[in-house]
Amino acid sequence: MKEMENNKSYFGEIGSALKTLGTGLKVTMKEYFTPKSTEQYPENRKTTLHVAKRHRGRLVFKRNEDGSYKCTSCLMCEKACPNDTIKITSHMEENPETGRKKKKLDDYQYDLGDCMFCQLCVNACNFDAIEFTNDFENSVFDRNKLVLHLDKEVYQGGSLPNLIEGGAPLTIGKFNTKTK
Amino acid sequence: MKLNNIELNFDNFAGEMAKLKSEKHFDYLVTIIGEDFGEEGLGCIYILENTQNHERCSTRVIAKQVGEDYVIPSVLKLWNAANLLEREVFDFLGIKFLGHPDMRRLFMRNDFTRYPLRKDFDESPDANRFPTTDEPETDFTTEWNLDKNGNLVATRHRLFDEDDFVVNFGPNHPSMHGVLRLQAVLDGETVKHIYPHLGYIHRGMEKMMESMTYPQTLAMTDRLNYLCAMMHRHALVGVIEEGMGIELSERIQYIRTIMDELQRIDNHLLYLGTAAQDLGALTAFLYCMRDREHVLNVMEETTGGRLIQNYYRIGGLQDDIDPNFVENTKTLCKYLRPMIQEYMDVFGDNVITHNRFEGVGPMGLEDSINYALTGPAGRAAGWHNDVRKNHPYACYGQVNFKEITLDGADAMTRYMVHIEELYQSLDIIEQLIDNIPEGEFYIKQKPIIKVPEGQWYFSVEGGAGEFGVYLDSRGDKSPYRLKMRPMGLTLTGAFDKMLRGQKVADLVTTGATIDFVIPDLDR
Amino acid sequence: MFDFSIVTSFVDQLLRQTLGLGDFWTILIECVLVGLGILVGYALLAIVLIFMERKVCAYFQCRIGPMRVGPWGIFQVFADVLKMLIKEIFAIDKADLLLYYVAPFLVIAASVGTFSFLPWNKGMSVLDFNVGIFMVTAISSIGVVGIFMAGWGSNNKYSVVSAMRGAVQMISYEMSLGLCLICAVILTGTMQMSGIVEAQTGPWRWLIFQSPTAIIAFLVFLVSGNAEANRGPFDLAEAESELTAGYHTEYSGMGFGFYYLAEYLNLFVISGLASAIFLGGWAPVNIGLEAFDNVMNLIPGIFWFLGKTFMVVWILMWVRWTFPRLRIDQILKLEWKYLMPLMLLVLVLTTAWVALV
Repeated sequence: MKEMENNKSYFGEIGSALKTLGTGLKVTMKEYFTPKSTEQYPENRKTTLHVAKRHRGRLVFKRNEDGSYKCTSCLMCEKACPNDTIKITSHMEENPETGRKKKKLDDYQYDLGDCMFCQLCVNACNFDAIEFTNDFENSVFDRNKLVLHLDKEVYQGGSLPNLIEGGAPLTIGKFNTKTK
Repeated sequence: MKLNNIELNFDNFAGEMAKLKSEKHFDYLVTIIGEDFGEEGLGCIYILENTQNHERCSTRVIAKQVGEDYVIPSVLKLWNAANLLEREVFDFLGIKFLGHPDMRRLFMRNDFTRYPLRKDFDESPDANRFPTTDEPETDFTTEWNLDKNGNLVATRHRLFDEDDFVVNFGPNHPSMHGVLRLQAVLDGETVKHIYPHLGYIHRGMEKMMESMTYPQTLAMTDRLNYLCAMMHRHALVGVIEEGMGIELSERIQYIRTIMDELQRIDNHLLYLGTAAQDLGALTAFLYCMRDREHVLNVMEETTGGRLIQNYYRIGGLQDDIDPNFVENTKTLCKYLRPMIQEYMDVFGDNVITHNRFEGVGPMGLEDSINYALTGPAGRAAGWHNDVRKNHPYACYGQVNFKEITLDGADAMTRYMVHIEELYQSLDIIEQLIDNIPEGEFYIKQKPIIKVPEGQWYFSVEGGAGEFGVYLDSRGDKSPYRLKMRPMGLTLTGAFDKMLRGQKVADLVTTGATIDFVIPDLDR
Repeated sequence: MFDFSIVTSFVDQLLRQTLGLGDFWTILIECVLVGLGILVGYALLAIVLIFMERKVCAYFQCRIGPMRVGPWGIFQVFADVLKMLIKEIFAIDKADLLLYYVAPFLVIAASVGTFSFLPWNKGMSVLDFNVGIFMVTAISSIGVVGIFMAGWGSNNKYSVVSAMRGAVQMISYEMSLGLCLICAVILTGTMQMSGIVEAQTGPWRWLIFQSPTAIIAFLVFLVSGNAEANRGPFDLAEAESELTAGYHTEYSGMGFGFYYLAEYLNLFVISGLASAIFLGGWAPVNIGLEAFDNVMNLIPGIFWFLGKTFMVVWILMWVRWTFPRLRIDQILKLEWKYLMPLMLLVLVLTTAWVALV
């Protein structure tokens, strides 16, 4: 009797085992012909690339329409930063008309290489002066080039056309594998 | 949970702990927190859970000073989970646990002589030069005990025999999901022992957090386990919000629950993939990665991050959900359901997979509890340990979902628990996604956040187990002591037990199905 | 039907009569030419196979594979080969240097040796003994020695474990591999490669159509051949998730390159043998309709052979990129508990078939 059971387990499983192997082969065969998932960066960078609007690529100054910035060098962001990414230098300036003293920003230094994109500086800012953009192509050959001076640069809204709006549209469940 | 510690002293500690376990059924040791209590001295807080009614309690004991040393009796004989937890306390605070057979350092190098979490630790760079020599390793370990006269005596134990064939799996090894090093003593293809070595990605987060403001500490949790960024941060903001007594709006709770579950799907998909990859099925891995990409896309539209999500903050969320979020999430749920069957077809149901998984890395119910094998690994042994059910947080008390428990207690059931949980997560999301109430996504906090005095412990169900955060606040703007209960530490501690007598290939299989992420357990 | 012996006898005539060379020089020059041909073919096929593997595997995995070097990535493998050629080969500390350096040559020798037995076309088999089948199995086992020596000589614990696995696995699977071949020998009545193919020419004469037992033998041959070539799901010796790269962990540059080449060519050899022995080799598809058969016969045999072989290669890749790896005890269980008994039975049935039909 025991031998019978043994025989059953010896032969009985072969059939179902082969069936599971067949199912596996069927799946891979099906996928062989389905559309692929590789997105071809950088060929697609100006065409089909999508970058989430809220992606944190780097910090920039928000500008008014006339190009002026809103930073009052209150140092809230510098204090909030966990790893000293932001260094602000400023001096006191007296407004000749009102006679009020006011801080004037000399330099807003932001080290992209040190930044961990925690958004604490943006959260700390009371003047809505800084924000993160999704401009992500930040690689350079020299670390020093990552030290940015946000007040001095004229940020034109990303290295790629339409990037700030997110680029090409995104469809969940599909990949845009084309380059054009 | 606000901690009301049962105060114990050195003399009654061992007896009282044994009573808690045997009489009151506190058989799950959640975590041990070593702390420098300042003037009171060094000590430990033990958080325990009764696995029958899920009641939790905590005990506190102050270490006894013997000469220069601090000692506490080991609870290893009561809870095996204490093995690595006590070694961690020894490593960071220098408390020697009497009767623990393996009192080596766990995270820091063997030749490091000081104890970083003591409050008198010298943090100056001069005292902390990075060593450029190789780390010395011995074949011996030490057990400490008190003799009749109350003096500390050391007993040496051999770790390896002369002719043991020792193979290092890691710190860099294709099957280790990070820099974990498992020293395996082999007899041919059979495993005799596993000694885990941790700390290759130890960043001293708990120490760093002691000098950070509360908002700053948040940035750390995303970097713990890159697959459970949401859940980990949930635990940390949870404990701070509980300490401060912040009432969150319904909207925040809904979104947090959805995000946690999306993150769980992300975690489980990667788990299913890497489990396949570790068995050599690279194709199944890539199918999971392909679909995980969609999950990440959905999350990124709202959070702006893929691994480092950076979404929860004290008092709410970083930003409101993306306008397309609801629709995207629904599309995703619809897309994912049939795909889960595909993973099963190509890998999970495969006869080779069954042969590789079944009976591998066994760990029964009793051992699972004793070794604190939380999460899917414990549920695969039939242990009802889901924090979402036992200690509901966010919206988990309101939604309908099943806690998946199976009873195979081996690699195969662990895999299956993950598969089933994917469906449950999808269910949870689909219940909530259409009903997100209107309201504030962030409740404004003071510019400087201070938590009133007290001790709290808050835990969430992470991807691979319970992730908890203990906070001891002294009313400052930074925590006095913040301790995280990583998901993987107790899992790693159970490795030796699971793998004795199994094959080398089973080491990889068990590692694949136990699902640990090394930055999480190293912190 | 194109017969390659026209070419070979032309060269022979040219050397002997037109140039008036003696036996020694003629044979020497011919040997050199053939050797060169084999090696060039070997290298070219390796490149084709590696590229094919990368693309096929990519397509199974919803990827598109290499795309950067050249159009559609076709020069990727050339770049890889170039990189491998210029990499430094260095010795391992405390390695057994003799074994360490000799091992890759043994592996590649076994691979080239078996490669030479493939019947490419009518009159185009390099080695064509009357005990050809025997020789193939004999030469292929030299590879085991190479793997074993590499694992032992590398002074690396992963490599040792891998070498043990490799040896155990290859020796085991030679068993059912040999039995499959014997079945073919019984059915065709010859051990000579060209004879076996010759016996399969004509309408519905391929071995798998000749006898139902041959179909089983063919399938088992694919399984055990796959195991013999150390490819997934039987790539235990390499088992990258357990033993990093197994026996060739410590090899760099062309030392590793030889293993890499041998791996792919072994795949080709196994597929080539399968197509020669069970699928009629260079024999065209003949179905008994004269018009159709005549058209088919116009296609030279080498295309038939390569076509069939690459199809088998593709099937083996399909299998490799679908299944997870087995464990060492399971791999041996499969051989000794299932395949070998099955093949013994098939052997008896084949004999009976030949005797009765």
